[in-house]
Parts: sequence; structure tokens; C-alpha cells
Amino acid sequence: MLTRVGQEENSEGAKVAIAKAAFPAPFKEGLEFSSPARGTWNIVHTGMLIPDSHQIFVCAQGCLRGVVLTAAEMNAMNRYSAIAIREENVLDGNMEELMIEGVTDVLNKLTYKPRAVLLFISCQHFFLAYDKDLVFCVLRERFPDIDFTDCYMIPTLRKSGLTPDQKMRMQLYSLLKEKPLNLKKVNLIGSNLSIKEDCEWFSFLKGEGYTICSLNSCKTYEDYLDMASASLNLITEPIALIAGEDLKKRLNQEYLYLPCVFNDEQLEENYSRLASQLNLTKPDYSKERIQAKKALEQAKALIKDTPIAIDYTFTFRLLSLTRRLLEEGFLVTEIYADSFLKEEYEDFEWIKKNYPQIIISATNRPKMRFLSRNREGKILALGQKAAYFTKTAYFVNVVESGGFYGYAGLSAIAKLMEEAFNNEKDMPTIIQRKGYGCASCI
Amino acid sequence: MIKIAIYGKGGIGKSTTVSNLSVALAKSGLKVMQIGCDPKADSTISLRQGKKLPTVLETVRKKKDEFTLDEIIYEGYAGVICVEAGGPIPGLGCAGRGIITALEKLEVKGAYETYKPDVVFYDVLGDVVCGGFSMPMRNGYADEVFIVTSGENMSIYAAANIAMAIDNFKGRGYAKLGGLILNSRNVEEERSKVETLAKDIGSQIVGTLSFSETVQKAEPLMQTVLERFPDSEMAKEYQELADKILNRVKEEDRC
Repeated sequence: MLTRVGQEENSEGAKVAIAKAAFPAPFKEGLEFSSPARGTWNIVHTGMLIPDSHQIFVCAQGCLRGVVLTAAEMNAMNRYSAIAIREENVLDGNMEELMIEGVTDVLNKLTYKPRAVLLFISCQHFFLAYDKDLVFCVLRERFPDIDFTDCYMIPTLRKSGLTPDQKMRMQLYSLLKEKPLNLKKVNLIGSNLSIKEDCEWFSFLKGEGYTICSLNSCKTYEDYLDMASASLNLITEPIALIAGEDLKKRLNQEYLYLPCVFNDEQLEENYSRLASQLNLTKPDYSKERIQAKKALEQAKALIKDTPIAIDYTFTFRLLSLTRRLLEEGFLVTEIYADSFLKEEYEDFEWIKKNYPQIIISATNRPKMRFLSRNREGKILALGQKAAYFTKTAYFVNVVESGGFYGYAGLSAIAKLMEEAFNNEKDMPTIIQRKGYGCASCI
Repeated sequence: MIKIAIYGKGGIGKSTTVSNLSVALAKSGLKVMQIGCDPKADSTISLRQGKKLPTVLETVRKKKDEFTLDEIIYEGYAGVICVEAGGPIPGLGCAGRGIITALEKLEVKGAYETYKPDVVFYDVLGDVVCGGFSMPMRNGYADEVFIVTSGENMSIYAAANIAMAIDNFKGRGYAKLGGLILNSRNVEEERSKVETLAKDIGSQIVGTLSFSETVQKAEPLMQTVLERFPDSEMAKEYQELADKILNRVKEEDRC
């Protein structure tokens, strides 16, 4: 084994104490490192949520590796096709023809008939100014019983305007067509993972006679189309807000953003807003609140002062959860994040003031590839990236909030922390699987 | 809302013509928006007495999506709404991409709904050299394209190329060719050459502008002829041309 003989490692630019960290972006942008923690969902996983849909990617062959591996890993190659753009297509400027004839060829050769096609375009389409309206108009004429929508695999959009992920969340619902609104039907939109049914608002709405629908609960394409009849869309993830706005504009569905927070007062506020939106009285959640507190205390009693590292893939409101854990006495020592949501500012300032020594570590700075991952003593990690960078086998394997929400979510997270603290996991094997929660052949 | 794209060889006088047409229509009570689709970003310069305005593309570069319409849209002479698409640094990047981004941004940010123009002019650079420069003639943008040309061979050649591009796109529901605007340079047999071109491309000359010193006098003053010399013969010519173009588009619309 090689041993470092030179100077001590320098973490400048990749790690910073929160006291000295800039908000919302503590680190400079540049060349990026991608850690082997792959549990978060990508556009292929998300798109596959539409039942009976088929994905067709149109891009240069070299760009297809990631998406084809995702489709293969989730045993969904029968729902995936690709059209490769070649040099001659660029020189001839025949992108529209390539797409129309390519999609026609794919659909004619499929052994099944999809109800919907998600046609993914790439940055070359933007540069060549392909005529989207023309392509989709011809395809809809040729295949009147298939719904077509445009999706985006455009890395150049990652840091300007809408990201491919935001666009994906919006386009997921673009095939919904206006229907009479059912006042007793509510959608949860934009989340890759379903909210667990033991969440307070789930039972609240069910008790009031509401039907709750999400993409995960759609078994057929008809179920999906019927999401257009919900009168209210609930959103827990900020990247799906654009989808809510679009649906309000197109289908007249109201939307309500209930961020995935971990602070009791903010949770109560969310529930009040939900009740008020539906002209209902907010139930008393004192019991659930106490239960969550007890669950956290129980976890703390077990975990004691074991250092905790947490990363941004665990939950969208990373700092809200970190603050809650700190308030409950847990020893959070490291936060892995490259930037923060603007709505986390208050929690950032609170942590900065009360725990200025907590280290914020980047996950995508190239230096992170070389800094030592070894830690002295046991570390409990919340999230796959935190587990990878601290090289710990004790970690809570949750991505994208894991469907946990509210007091029930807090209780469940506390239980998972206990379970993770007591049981080692095969970290390298687990974190390499793409799209945690999706089917995987690995 | 009537949307018109003006094409033609570089230096043929598109921006001068469009700016005067904009003022002519604005003075007759219409709300006019002029969008310069040229990386040089000087289409609207004579509407703003030489004052440049921040282009859509440089604003996108500086502020990403965090800007409002009033940061890229400015009022010019006679209330003409001025926009410049802009482009990349000369010699670098992709000018066509710049036009696409700018036009898409205007649409996404609701420029047409907010300013509610009666007439939109797209003043497009030179030739249809790539997809980006065909953008203003696509479905949802201009209804008709007018090509500015003189009797000079290079100008006629460019006009024929643009007409060919429009013809190539006829199956796609793009803008129709409204006709040619003869911007005279006093070359020999000028009218006859442009008439031949019009016949060859199955179109017509919708109006003729004289070769005039008045235009040359207004230009260094960074003003339109209609602003600087409102009672001149040239001002009348621009006014007549504006009316003809408007009537022509309205007629087509009725068909």
C-alpha cells in the first residue's frame, strides 16, 4: 500500500468551516469530480415513471453511455431507444428529418405499442436550431394514438436557466390534458419517490375523503392521464415548482409548495397552509410531534456523541435537518454540499452562529478525489455521498428525502439512524447502484 | 399582432429601412417593436440617437435568467419598442445560436404579451447562413418576409438565396415571402434586374426607395429620416412603403 510521505494534505477550496463559508455557494466552480455514489435519480429513472411510455434519445453516440447504462441497469432496455446524430447530419442540417424518420423507424420496429414517447434532445439540437414544432407536428400526424413530448439531456443547461432536472419534472406532466377538476382529488407532483403513507398530511387528506395520486401510484397510462383531474398539486421539492406553475397555467390546477422541513414550527405552518387551501381545520399533531421528539431522543441516547456526516442527496432541505439534529444534541461534524438552496438561508445562519466549527465539504471539487477518506473512530453518515467521503459502513441509505415527511418522517429517520448505527452496510456495493428505489439488476 | 422579418445582403440598408418603417407606422398610431437580429446590435441605433442598448445575449451572459424585460427592452423615437438580440464576441461563438437564444428569451419572458405590439419587425443579418438566421421566419415568428435589395449583383444574389431558403421551408408552415423592397443604388438597369429577380422567385416588388442624399444626411446624425427630415420626399417614400407593406400583410392574412 502506498503511504503519503509528503506534506499534509491541503483541503483548501474543497472544505471550509461554516463560519467562513459563503452562502449559497461556498466553493468556486470549475472542473468537477463525480463520486461513485450513484443513488440519486437521473432523467431516465424519472421519465420511466410514466406508465406505458417509451424513451428515445437523439444525440451523439458518445453521449448515450450514461443513459443506456441506466436503462440497462433498471432492466428497462425494452422501453429505451436511441437515434445517433452523426457528422453528416450536422453538415446536411437535416436534424428534423433524422428525428422524424428515426422515431418512425423505432416505433415501427417496437414489439409493443407505447402510449407515450419521451423524445430526449441534446445540446446539438440547440446549436443547430432544430424546428421542434415541425418534428412533433409530423410525428403526431403519423402516430395519432401516441402522445409525444420533448425532454432534455443538455448538460450545458445545468447552470443557467432551467436545469435538465427541472425541465424533466415539468415535462413529466406535459402530456396531461385538461379535464374537469375533482375537488376531492390531490396530486403529489415532482417527487421521484412517493411520500410514505404514514405521513400526517396523507392520513389527514384521506380522512377528509380525498384521493391522493402520484406518478408512483399510476399503474396505467390512463391513471397518469387522470392526474389532470386533481384540483390541487402538492410539491415538496423546489425543483418541481416549475411543474406546478406550468400545470396551473395549462390545466388550472392550484399548487402548494410544502417544503420538506424538519422544524416543528415550519411543519405546523405547512399543515396550516394545506388545511387553509382546502378550507379544512388543521388537526392537532401534538401527539405526533412528541413521538418524533422521543424517537430522536432515543436515537441520540444510542448514538451519543458519535460524529455525524450528512450530504445533500439525503434530503432537499439538508440544513433544516442538520439544524434539527444539532438542536436535538447530535454531533454533526460535516456537511457535504456544493451549494445550498436560497430557502435554506435562515438555517445556514443559525448553524453558522451556533456551530461555526462544522465543516462544509464539497462533493464535486477535484480535490475531493484525492483527500483522505479515512476517519478516526466510528462515523455515522446520512446519505450515500457522506458515506463515501467518510468511508463508513454505518450509514442511512436514503436519497431525495426517501419519501419521509413530517413528524412521521422524522421518527422514521431516527429509527433508520439507530439501525444504521448498529449495523454495518456494504457501502461500496450499495452506493454504486443508480436510482435508489428503482429496479436494479446489480 | 403582425410580425414581419426583413432580410437582405449586409450593408444594403435594412436597418435604415426598418427603422424608418417603424417610425412611419408608430406615427400612424400603431405600437411597433423592432428586434435587431444581428450580433452587431445596431439595428435600432437611429431610433435612439446613437445610444446603444444592452443586448439580450449580453444580459443573458451576465445575469443568466435573473433579469426582467425592462433590462433589455427600451423605448426609442416615436415610442418604437427597441430590442437588440446581440451575439457572441466577434470571431467567436455562434451568432445563429445567439439569435435563437434571444428570440426564445423574449418569448419565454412574455415580451409580446407584456408590450402588446401591433407590429413586430425582425431586422435580420445578411443571409440565411444557418438555422439561427432562419429562426425569425419560423412558425410563431414572422408572418411574412420582405427582402431588401438593390440592382447590384451581389445584392440580387443574396436576395435569391434568401428566397430559396423561404421556398425550401414552404412545407413547414414558415413565413411567406411578402416581396422585394428595391433600395435603389442607381446602378444601370436596376429596376429591370430586380423585376427579373422578382419574376424568377415568383414574387413582386412591393415598393421602391430612391437613392437619396437625405438618407445619407440623417445617418451620421443617428436619426431616422422621419425624425430628422419629416417633410422630405424620402420621408413620404418610407411612409408609403410602410403602408404598402402593412396592407400587403393584412391582405395575405385575409386570404
